[in-house]
Amino acid sequence: MKPFLKLDTVVKRYGSIDVIHGVSLEAAKGEFVVFVGPSGCGKSTLLRMIAGLEEVSDGDISIDGRVVTGVAPADREVSMVFQSYALYPHMSVFENIAFGLRMAKMGNAGVTERVNEAARILQIEPLLKRKPRELSGGQRQRVAIGRAIVRHPKLFLFDEPLSNLDAELRTQMRVEIAKLHRALGVTMVYVTHDQVEAMTLADRIVVLRAGLVEQIGSPTELYDHPANLFVAGFIGSPRMNLIPATVTAVGPGSVTLASRAFTGGSLVAPAPAAAKLEVGAPVTVGLRPDNLTLGAAQPILELTAELAENLGGSTQIHASAPDAPVIAMIANGRPPVQPGERLSVGLGGGRIYLFDKDGLAV
Amino acid sequence: MSRVNARSLLHAFGLLVVLAFALFPFYWMVSSSLKDQTDLLASPPVWFFRPTLSNYQAIFADQAVTGAVLNSLIVASATTFLSVLLGTPAAYALARFEFRGKADLWFWFISNRMVSPIVLALPVYVLSRQVGLLNTYWVLILVYLTFNLPIVVWICTDQFRSIPRDLEQSARLEGATQFDIFWRIYLPLGIPGVAVSAIFAFIFSWNELLYALVLITSQSLKTAPVVATNFMSGYELPWGKIMATGTVIVLPVTLFALVVSRHMVRGLTMGATK
Repeated sequence: MKPFLKLDTVVKRYGSIDVIHGVSLEAAKGEFVVFVGPSGCGKSTLLRMIAGLEEVSDGDISIDGRVVTGVAPADREVSMVFQSYALYPHMSVFENIAFGLRMAKMGNAGVTERVNEAARILQIEPLLKRKPRELSGGQRQRVAIGRAIVRHPKLFLFDEPLSNLDAELRTQMRVEIAKLHRALGVTMVYVTHDQVEAMTLADRIVVLRAGLVEQIGSPTELYDHPANLFVAGFIGSPRMNLIPATVTAVGPGSVTLASRAFTGGSLVAPAPAAAKLEVGAPVTVGLRPDNLTLGAAQPILELTAELAENLGGSTQIHASAPDAPVIAMIANGRPPVQPGERLSVGLGGGRIYLFDKDGLAV
Repeated sequence: MSRVNARSLLHAFGLLVVLAFALFPFYWMVSSSLKDQTDLLASPPVWFFRPTLSNYQAIFADQAVTGAVLNSLIVASATTFLSVLLGTPAAYALARFEFRGKADLWFWFISNRMVSPIVLALPVYVLSRQVGLLNTYWVLILVYLTFNLPIVVWICTDQFRSIPRDLEQSARLEGATQFDIFWRIYLPLGIPGVAVSAIFAFIFSWNELLYALVLITSQSLKTAPVVATNFMSGYELPWGKIMATGTVIVLPVTLFALVVSRHMVRGLTMGATK
């Protein structure tokens, strides 16, 4: 299938400093792609390059089969929702939404029809006469989205659109954006540093770090099969527990690992690619907090409880082990864990993740 | 509670003192313009007197004064209009574009205000005579423009810089041309700065005496400040007429400032972001 959006070894250079190091990726028509990464990873820069607001230093960007690298932002048929919303404060909501259509010299009747349509979709019809300063944060967000959809663009770009909203509103708007995507069926590229937003919205996630793509895949792929330690640590909340260990034996399809954190000092982990590991090699063992269970029949970790946080329906336990950083686990209900208590922890589900000394998944 | 009251009373009293200090000259000017010559020169001064409009009747009968006010209006309005017309696009360019020599250009604008006007009076006179501009509105308009343009550029550049860049980029994405962005976004949002600089330009042009005195000799083209000083010749000082003329001169500029200052509200960009 022909990709709808294609980035071909795109580079962004400021003077002699590269901030985007040759990023390549493709997105199909109608796909919801999320760029995720820590601040400064270049995700917003990449988005702005797709919009045409940043020049491309090297490589090519094409949208719907047309190379747009040198094309003016307005002629790319893309809409963007800014982190700051960027509403025109001196114009009414109606005029804010209509601005792009007026710039395209559309007649009054057409403008009114299109603005009303957008307002209906976003349920902001009663607000059309107001000025942005008379709106709440969530309402401003809707107007910003309205301004983007009114032009019927080929591609939607979102630059951290929810980061200025409070937690409740953020969840609500997240659901609405997902619904909007389904209703419009338009390709969307969404930038966020929030891995929950990435997991819930994306068809495909692009994990970026320091201007490089770390991994591209569906949320499930990234969660179940992170390519490296960075992705493993970034996707999933709370973060994956990472325990340093040493390989002591390599069998067919499994490895035996040693660390004082393991029950009995050792752990047998299934590893299809075990043959790549050598005895004595340092590895990192990854365990997701929500996969760990208390009081399992076959414990794998011996921990000392430090703190139990009551989350209501579940409890987050922080525990320590020799030779390992603090280990987090999510336990169902409210187990009566006291600080200093010895905990035998087993694997309730999921799997054991293994990473070699370079941080790559085994 | 009582302590708060005492403090605000003190504040109010302080403000009254400052206000009285600032406004007393105006009061003196206006009240003097309403006195006859006897009351005016009375010592100690008369606080309660029978007001008379005779001074105003006298100056409005004098064609020189009405003509001068009209001349001033023409020169100051034209200067203000041209300063804003030329200054705001320049300010936009300085605020938002990177180009070679930008810093030098910026300094050149500002340095125009560093020179004391009197230093340039003679060269400007010679220059104006050579190009045949002496005794025209244009010579004053052009000279005032060179003094006012830096102020407009200066204030408006600062104002435009405070407008979030996202607005411009969003507009660009929506198909706005460079001119659209200036005209539909920067100018309306920069109104407070434009208003302030327009007031400055108008007041400067309205009050300017030195160049008006040097460059205009024709009686019919003289501006208001020049005509006001013309009373101070001969053996008699007609204080009443001078004060009435002063009042008439102050009135338009005060009105202009009042009207324009409505736009000097802060927080005009509120609601743009976040």
